[in-house]
Order: sequence, then structure tokens, then C-alpha cells
Amino acid sequence: MISLSHLTMRLAGGGHQITILDDLTIEIPDKQRVAIVGPSGSGKSTLLGLIAGLDRPTSGSITLNGVEISTMRESALARFRRDHIGYIFQSFHLIPTLTALENVLVPLELAGMRSAQDRATELLQTVGLGERLHHYPVQLSGGEQQRVAVARAFACHPPILLADEPTGNLDSATGQHVMQLLHSLHRDYGTTLVLVTHDRAIASSMERVIALRDGRIESDRLSDSDHRVAESSL
Amino acid sequence: MNRFIFKMAWRETRGAWRHFLYFFACIAIGVGALVGVSLFGTNMERAVTREARGLLGGDLEIRLTRPLSLAGQAVLNSLGERHMVFTHVSELVAMAARANPGPVMTQSTQIIELKAVESAYPLYGAIRLDSTHALDVLLHPNEGRCDGHPCFGAVVQESLLIRMGLSVGDRLKIGHAMFLITGIVRTEPDRMANAFTLGPRVMIAQEGLLAAELIKPGSRVRERYLVKTPPDMPLDPLLSELRDRLAADSARVSSYRTAQSQLKQFLEQLSRYLGLIGLTALFIGGLGVGTSIHAFLRDKLRTIATLKAVGADSATVVSTYVVQAIFLGSVGSLAGIVLGIALERGLPPLAAALFASDLLDQLGVSSELSQSSIWPLLKGALLGLLSTLLFTLWPLLKIRDIHPGAIFRRDAEQATVEREAASPRWWVRWGFTDRWNVGTAGVIILGLCALSVWQAGSWPIGLLFIGAISLAITILFVCAQVFVRGLAWMPLPRVLSLRYALGNVVRPGSQATGIMVAIGIGVMVIVTVSLVEQALLRQIQEHRPADAPTFFFIDIQPDQAQEFVSLVDRQAGQAHPELTPLVRSRLHAIDGHVVTVEEGGEKDDKRAEGKEERGKQWYFTREYVLTFLDQLPKDNTLVKGEWWKPGQVFSTPQVSVEEDAAMHLGLAIGSTVEFDIQGSTVSAEVSSIRKVEWGNFSTNFYMILSPGSIAGAPFTYVGTVRVSAEHEVPLQQAIVASFPNISAIHIGDVLDGFARVLDRLSLAIRAVALFCVVAGGLVMAAALAATRYRRLYESVILKALGATRSLIARAFAMEYALLGAVAGLIGLTLGSVLAWALVRYVFDLPWTIHPQVLGIGLLLTMLLTLIVGFASTYRILGQRPLAVLRHE
Repeated sequence: MISLSHLTMRLAGGGHQITILDDLTIEIPDKQRVAIVGPSGSGKSTLLGLIAGLDRPTSGSITLNGVEISTMRESALARFRRDHIGYIFQSFHLIPTLTALENVLVPLELAGMRSAQDRATELLQTVGLGERLHHYPVQLSGGEQQRVAVARAFACHPPILLADEPTGNLDSATGQHVMQLLHSLHRDYGTTLVLVTHDRAIASSMERVIALRDGRIESDRLSDSDHRVAESSL
Repeated sequence: MNRFIFKMAWRETRGAWRHFLYFFACIAIGVGALVGVSLFGTNMERAVTREARGLLGGDLEIRLTRPLSLAGQAVLNSLGERHMVFTHVSELVAMAARANPGPVMTQSTQIIELKAVESAYPLYGAIRLDSTHALDVLLHPNEGRCDGHPCFGAVVQESLLIRMGLSVGDRLKIGHAMFLITGIVRTEPDRMANAFTLGPRVMIAQEGLLAAELIKPGSRVRERYLVKTPPDMPLDPLLSELRDRLAADSARVSSYRTAQSQLKQFLEQLSRYLGLIGLTALFIGGLGVGTSIHAFLRDKLRTIATLKAVGADSATVVSTYVVQAIFLGSVGSLAGIVLGIALERGLPPLAAALFASDLLDQLGVSSELSQSSIWPLLKGALLGLLSTLLFTLWPLLKIRDIHPGAIFRRDAEQATVEREAASPRWWVRWGFTDRWNVGTAGVIILGLCALSVWQAGSWPIGLLFIGAISLAITILFVCAQVFVRGLAWMPLPRVLSLRYALGNVVRPGSQATGIMVAIGIGVMVIVTVSLVEQALLRQIQEHRPADAPTFFFIDIQPDQAQEFVSLVDRQAGQAHPELTPLVRSRLHAIDGHVVTVEEGGEKDDKRAEGKEERGKQWYFTREYVLTFLDQLPKDNTLVKGEWWKPGQVFSTPQVSVEEDAAMHLGLAIGSTVEFDIQGSTVSAEVSSIRKVEWGNFSTNFYMILSPGSIAGAPFTYVGTVRVSAEHEVPLQQAIVASFPNISAIHIGDVLDGFARVLDRLSLAIRAVALFCVVAGGLVMAAALAATRYRRLYESVILKALGATRSLIARAFAMEYALLGAVAGLIGLTLGSVLAWALVRYVFDLPWTIHPQVLGIGLLLTMLLTLIVGFASTYRILGQRPLAVLRHE
């Protein structure tokens, strides 16, 4: 369960404060697939970052699976992220000096997993990169990089997977492939999936769509298309 | 978790070798300087220890400044009965003359350092000769070689042959005897580290010395008796016994264990100060390491944010990069060790020149690595590694401030920096509100102090060094900051290239201050050494007073005085030589307390503890050359008491004491001093204390007695003569011909010898100081590499807007020249102040500005920054805009 209560985020800029998120209260049950949509600057990515504990809110609370993370110390937060959250960035953010395999190995090794190498190899094979294990990010296409990012995000089987425009930098065919991957992970492991997207088709493939505008919730509705998408991903 | 840290550190290093080239170089240059100096010192010390008996000439040495008494001779003879072997060596300065006129341009007379030996010499070590015959054979040639006359052999230093146009087989007159030159001597085991000699060595047999009739009462001679003891005989009881039994002869007895301590002390001090210059190079390199790591982390901002985003906590990330720094520091240190070994191989030739002898060869100093080389190598590596850690800790600590949210913001670091910079309180700006920062700063300061003390081998010197270098860095930093801020206030120039150059210096994130500090320190060190050397050379070569004598004639016997004066007047046209009587003595007692000689003994280590104590000891145990004069000599001023009136007669002899000697000996007006003059004691009352201008090139004395005090003592005269250049050679020849026992010391030659030694010493120091300058250049290269991408981006934008390659090159040149000029000016100013302080307060010499040193220093600094700058950034000039901008 992801529980956001009266979440507000303000940033200083140009000599005055800008309100990015304004008093949001949202609850996302376990295993739900949620799309966060909205125009640029509506606060989507900031919201996702706050859920992941990548930044601290100005006020309000964030509770993940019963744990309040907005007041956690940085080190504890890092460990919590490692064990509970997978995060996929729009710009992939792979570590350029590491190979695909090593990028996936990072969270596994941080968690002290014994068979990290096998697990990372298996994950990359699952995302169709079994032949590209030892390639560096610059040697991979955008789609391939995003698949590595997905594998890395999912390496420790986090109960919550957050994706910030996971297809934003990809062509439509590659984007579709990445989305199928996310849906199958959700289906196979019961992962809660929250993604930010501009893409209406992707949003409509999710169970729930939360629309933001100017840092506030414009609409929050359940979609009726989840069965259709689930079938197509099989 | 630990495995992750090591794996991640390796992965981060693996692909980034190129980024760390300056990192390695900065550490390697400092470690190289330290290891080179340290290896050299260790090898020298090892050789000195190994050859200790050879250096002294025996297990024990008995040294006197006059011939041994009969009683003393009996003591020595008794040693033979106890299965000990001894041999007699006499050393003195004398004049050698050609037996026949030689070729033009060669000298017919020459001052020499004469050494007379017996057959048993040397007891230890080997004498190296250019002959297959033994020394004893060479010193006792067959009479057939001397046309049937009794003759003696002499082996000489090659320089004598060159100066006098002689060769082996020619004859040489020394004193009243004729010597056949039978060989060339290369090295003697017991002639050490003679940084300065009065003339070439000539070795003869004791019988030859006797025949030469050089030693007269009061002659300046060093009589040495070298003793070889049975291997199982303990030395200390024998040492005490001989000191007691030979006390009447005022003999100094020392053992091989402690006798070479002066040489050791010299080597230790040389190694210590060169080592501290090496440490300066390492610390300057440390600034480059800090710059490299700072730049590396800025490039790694996103990687660090990503690591944190995927669950690595700050401690893990900081540990990862600390491990990486240790790894890089180790590689740099290893490279430094290789460099140090190469430097050490290059140092011996320099050192050989420094000692003006085949010392290294003689000692068998080898550059080969051995077991004793392990510690210098290990110490160098440890110093490199620890300074890497100390200089990287601060930038690495900033990793904690990188928030995973930075991944979303392009200029996250800039934002962080600005937030901190915004605070009006400096301790907030510098992060001292955080206990980790405070703790780390403390560790860094303590660590740097510890490294300095470790390298200096002394708390006060180490702390003084770190204090001085911190002060220098602070002053350089403040000056550089004032310059950069002042530049920011200036109106922008109209010329685009100049505007761009100035912009690069003053912009936020500019590395100009760091570059100027690093270059400035190197300049400061090398300029200080050069200026002090210039001041000393100037003092030696140019500051000779107009009335400074040309010659000192020594060992003039009282019965020769009158004839000597008239001969000089005849030869040099009324030169009016000044004759000063002198007699050698030692202190016997002060105010009734007998002076005990604690020399060469077991207290050596204790003595070495304090320079002050050693200095004091020196005043008690040294030989005092006494004189008696009517008038207060020129350049002497009375500080206390009164000078005796002409013709005044005293019941107790009066003595005037030099003020430093009076202070160290604890003498005041009315104190009683007893002198041991060649076995008899003379007591005198201190009647005045004088200040002496020692640099006046005249005969100066610590102790001057009232006239008539030492009537009957075996005194000789020293004559000072000032003659024009054309009279120098004829006068010297005439004196040697008429008075073979009188030696002529030419002041010009002596001073030239000093200047040569000084020049060589300065060369050795400058060679190590050069490492500081190279380290400064590397810091600049590292700093420019850190801003390389920004420069690249801006230059292609400028090109895209129509700027030519030459305009950008001009802008770079102006920037680098400006950095060099400012760093050079600050470094030169600091170096001048430091040199002034040293010259004025340590060497007590007048200070003059040397515009040529400063001018050359400034030009060379600008040239250095231009070369380093262009070598680091020339590739940028050739980049095509589209190729770069496409990746943006």
C-alpha cells in the first residue's frame, strides 16, 4: 500500500517559491497498476520521485507498506529503496562505466545476494538481452538501455515498481515491448506498478489513471481496460 | 556489502584510467622525490656504517695538534705489547715546488695537503692508486731512480700534476727534501667528504716528512695515531684508558663507532632537508590529486545519484570512492617508487660533484637495491598513499551531499554549491556546521602534521615545516583570491580574446586559485634556494673588502719573521705584510673548573639531541688559536670591559673574548680562563668582550691575550699580504724557495673553492626543488583537465558563432600567461621574503635584490604555464563544432 497524505512540494526558483505539488492525498493498494498523467510541469515526475524517497516533501507524509519514509534518515531510506522499490527513469540513467550485466548487478550486490551474477544474467535474458550482457550503455540502443534499466529496477523483486515515462525516449515499437515487459512483471510477481506517462494508450492500459494539473489532482479514475491489456500481454 | 565496495571501486577505475593520469603523476612525482632522496641517504649511511673503521683509519684514533711527547710515545708502544697494531699519520698544509722550471701556464709552486704515513697504513680499508705497486713501495723508491741520491717517493692527486704540468717520474720539492712522483692516488679510506680542500693531496713516508723539515715548534700539523685492536677486545675501556693516559698530551681519542658522526650528521641533515623539499612536492601533488578527484566526482554526479537511487547509502558510496582513491594512490606510489629509483641513480653523480671527491666510489656506495632499500621504498609508498587519502578525503566527503534527486536536475551540484555559498558565515559556507566535516578536517590536519613529523624525523622541524607550508599556502591563496576578485571588479576589456581569457579566470568554478597556489609554491621554493645561493656567492665573490689580503702565509717561524717581511717588500714593492703571532691551545679550565672533553664517546646520541647543546660543546672542546696584540684589531668592537693601554703591564695575563664564545663558555669580565698551550697551562683574566666582524677577510680571533702573556710559548706568525695580480706568482715562488716550511694560502682560490662547493650544494637542492615546480605544473594540468569539457563546449560555440581557431588560441595563451604571471609574482615575492629572512637572520648577511633571478623566474613561470596549458588543451582547438554539439 502506498499512502500519500497532504503531500506538498515547493522549490525555490527565480527568487520566489514554486509549488510543484499542492496538498495531494492518494492511496494506492498493493498490486495496483496506476498511471499518473498530466501536462508538463504538473508535478508527475516529482510525485514519483517523492514516492521513491529520492527527494523529501516540503510537508505531508509518504507511507509505503506501512512505513513512513518522508522522515527516514538518508541511509535508512537508501536501504529501504533497495529492498522495496524499483525505479525506471525516462533517461535510463545507467552507469556508463559499467556493462549491462554490471548495471543490473549493482542492486543485487548491494543487497548482498549470493547468486547475483546468475540472477542478473537471467534477468537480462528475460528482457531479451542475453547476447548483450557485456556491452556498455553507449553500445546499446535506447530500447536496450531501457530494458537494462527495467531489469535493474526489478532485480531485487521489489514490491513497488515506479517508472518515469519509461517509453518517453523510445520509438513506439520498442516502447510497446518495454510496456509488455512491465505488465508481465506485474502479472507474474504481483508488483505494484506506478508509472508516469504522456501516452494516452499506455495510460488507458493501466487499472487506474490519476491526472495532475498544477500540482493538484484533476481526476482519479479506475480504467475498464485492464482485462484487455492483461490478455494482450499474454 | 564489502565485496560490493571493492567490485564497484574496481569497475569505476577500470574504464577511467585516462582521467587519472594526472592523479598518478601528482603522487608519483612527490613519492619519486622522497624515495630518491631517502634511498640515497640510506645507501650513504649504510656505506658509512660499513666502512666506519676505514673512515677513521682504525678501531681507535688518537689525534693531536703537536708531536706526541715521549711519555705519550711510551703509552703507544705499550699497546704493541697487548697485541695491538698502530700506525702514525701526519697531516699538514705545505707548499710543493717544481724541481725544474715547467711549461708556461703551469704553476711552479702549489699549496698541498700533505699526508705522511708509515708502512702499516692503511690499517683498514684500501687506498686506490693508479699503480700496480703497493703504497709502501711507491713511497720508498729505489735510490737508482734518484741518480743515486737518497730520495723519497710521493703519490699525488692528479690535479697536482695538471696544475704544475708534472707527470709521474718527475720530481717535486717539499720543504727541504726532494720527492719522486711515483704514482697517483685516487681515494684514501680516511679522507672523507672533504667538501673543501686547500690543495691537492700529496702522500709521502714519515721519513720523507722528517727530511723535509717542515714541522717546527708551533707548526700547524695534525698528528694521528691509528690503532687496530684484536677483534675480541672491548673498545670502551681502552678508550677511557687512553684518554686518561694521554691527557697530558691533550690528545683526542675516538672510536670508529662514533667518529664519523659528523659525516653522518651532515648526510642526515642533507637527506632530511632534501626530503622535506620532496614532501613539499608531494603536498603540492596532493593539491592536484584533490583537484582530479573533485573533477572526477563532478563527472560522477549522476552515477552517484543513480547508485543512491538504486539503494546504496552514502557510507557505501563514500567507501567505494575511498577504496578507489587508495587503489589509485597505490598505483601512483608504485610509479613514484620507480621514478625515485631512477632519481637515486642520477643523484650519485651530483653527490660526487658535491663532495669534490671520489667519496661514493671510495665508500662503495651502490645504487643497487638491497634489503636496506626496502624501508625507504615502503616509507615512500606509505607517504604517497597516506597523502592521497588526506587530500581526497575532503572532496570525497561531498559525496554525502549528493542527493538521489540530483538525477532529475542538471545543475544539482551547482544548486548545492550556491546554497552553501549563499551563507554569510564562512564556517557554514565551508561546511563546518556538520560534525563529519569538522572531524574529517581534523583528521586531515593531524594527518598532514604526522606525515611532516615522520618525514622530518623531528617534532619541532616537522611542525615548523607544516606550519611554514600552511602559512605559505594561506598567503598564496589569499593573494590569488584577491587577484581573482579584483579582476572580477575590473571593467571588461574590449578585445574579445582578452575578455574570454579574463572570463575563464574569474568565472565561478574556475580553478585559477588552485593553479596559482600550486605553481606559486614551487616557484617560491626554487626562488628561495636561488636567492640564498646568490646572496652567499655575492658575499664570497664580490663583497671582499678593498683591503682584503691576497695571501695568508702560515707557519712563519719567529726567526724567519724579519727576513720574510723584507723578502715580501723586495718582491712586491713595499707590500708591508702584517704579521700576527699565534699559538694553538685548548681550554683547560674556566674559573677553576677543569673542562672535561666528552668527545667521540658514548654520549654521542645525547649530544646530537640539541643543536644548541652541540654548539655549546663545540666552544668547550675546540682548539683556540691565541694571539697577543697591542691594538684592538680592525672590525672588532668592545661590548664590555676595556682594552689594555699600550705598554700596560699586568700581573695576571688579560684576555679579550669574542661575545658568542663568552656567552657559550659562560665568561664575564673578571672570569679566569686557563689555556693548555702545548702542555703548559697559562691562566688569563677576562678583561673585555668583543664583537667581531667575521666576514672581513682578515685574521680574527676568539681569544686575544695581552702582550707578553705567552712569552716562551711555541708561537708562529701568520702573515697577511696584499699584492697586485702580477706579483702573486713571483712572490709565492720566492717565499717557497726561501722558506720551504711556509705555506701560502691564496684567498681567491680558497673563496673560489667555497663558491664551487656552494654551487654544487645549491644544485642538489635545486634538483629536488625542481620536483616542486613539476608538481605545480601537474596540478595545473589536472585543473585544466577538470575544466576541459567546459572549455571544449565553449570553444565550439565560439567557433559556431564565427570565432577563428587563432582567436581561441590567443585567449587560452593570455589566460595561461596571466596565471603564470600572477602565480610567479606571488611565488617570487614570497620566495624573496623567505630568502631575505634566511640571508638576514640565519646567515647574517646583507640583502640585495637580484632582478635577474626574479625576471628569469617570472619568465620561466609564464613559459611553464603556457606549455602546460597548451599541452593540456591544444586538442580542443581542433574540434569541429557539430561533432561536439551533436552529443549535447
